Amino acid sequence: MPEDPNTGEPDTRGWLASRILRGGTEPDPRFTLANERTFLAWIRTSLALLAGGVAVEAFMADLLGQELRKTIAVLLLVLALVIGGGSFFRWVNVERAMRSKAPLPLPLIAPVLAIGGALVAAIMVVFVIARPA
Amino acid sequence: MTAQHDSAWHGDAGLQPERTDLAWSRTTMSMVIAAAVFLRWLPHHGWFVGTLVGGAIVTAVAINLTQKRRFHRAVRGIRHETMAPHVGSTAAVAASVVVLALLGIYTVLFLPLQP
Repeated sequence: MPEDPNTGEPDTRGWLASRILRGGTEPDPRFTLANERTFLAWIRTSLALLAGGVAVEAFMADLLGQELRKTIAVLLLVLALVIGGGSFFRWVNVERAMRSKAPLPLPLIAPVLAIGGALVAAIMVVFVIARPA
Repeated sequence: MTAQHDSAWHGDAGLQPERTDLAWSRTTMSMVIAAAVFLRWLPHHGWFVGTLVGGAIVTAVAINLTQKRRFHRAVRGIRHETMAPHVGSTAAVAASVVVLALLGIYTVLFLPLQP
């Protein structure tokens, strides 16, 4: 069992937690739970993007050409991948900052979501305007 | 007060354990909805899509089965003013979403669309 770097006592948190979250002290459990809920909100955002990507590919076959449909679907799925994976690193970074009582890091996945979402929306707007009536 | 009631009592006016529990429930439901949307791909992309449906369902069931344990851990954490974060749960859910997204990208790019 690994040792707690502060107290030198055995770390009872389990292998994964003691490896990923070293040093510092446990924050207020309310903050730990708040961080967990924020992580879950990001995960649900990722799942919505995932479902959106599948829906574009499955339901818009009559509306969009094959290439455009594939592009939008892959864009949404890649965005889901980045947000889903990034949400875990965001969670770890916030947890580490709280343990060492450092300022919370900026959410890097927020601009990724904003830019990615805007890109998909822009493609759809251009498609709607350019589409023959 | 019975032992069961006692174990769910935390005295946190912010109702953090409940809100966190509900956040996990909403995530479970989102997983089930994602599985249902994946089903729409079955007639178009064939049986490979079953891996996506199965992955989402297995994750949803796993979250549901561990829900009670997480809730009581949160309640104990609030009562004792210290708790270790759920690294395993968050890592597993994030990994599941990443794998589902990768399988989805593979489906769109490499599996031919059947009419």
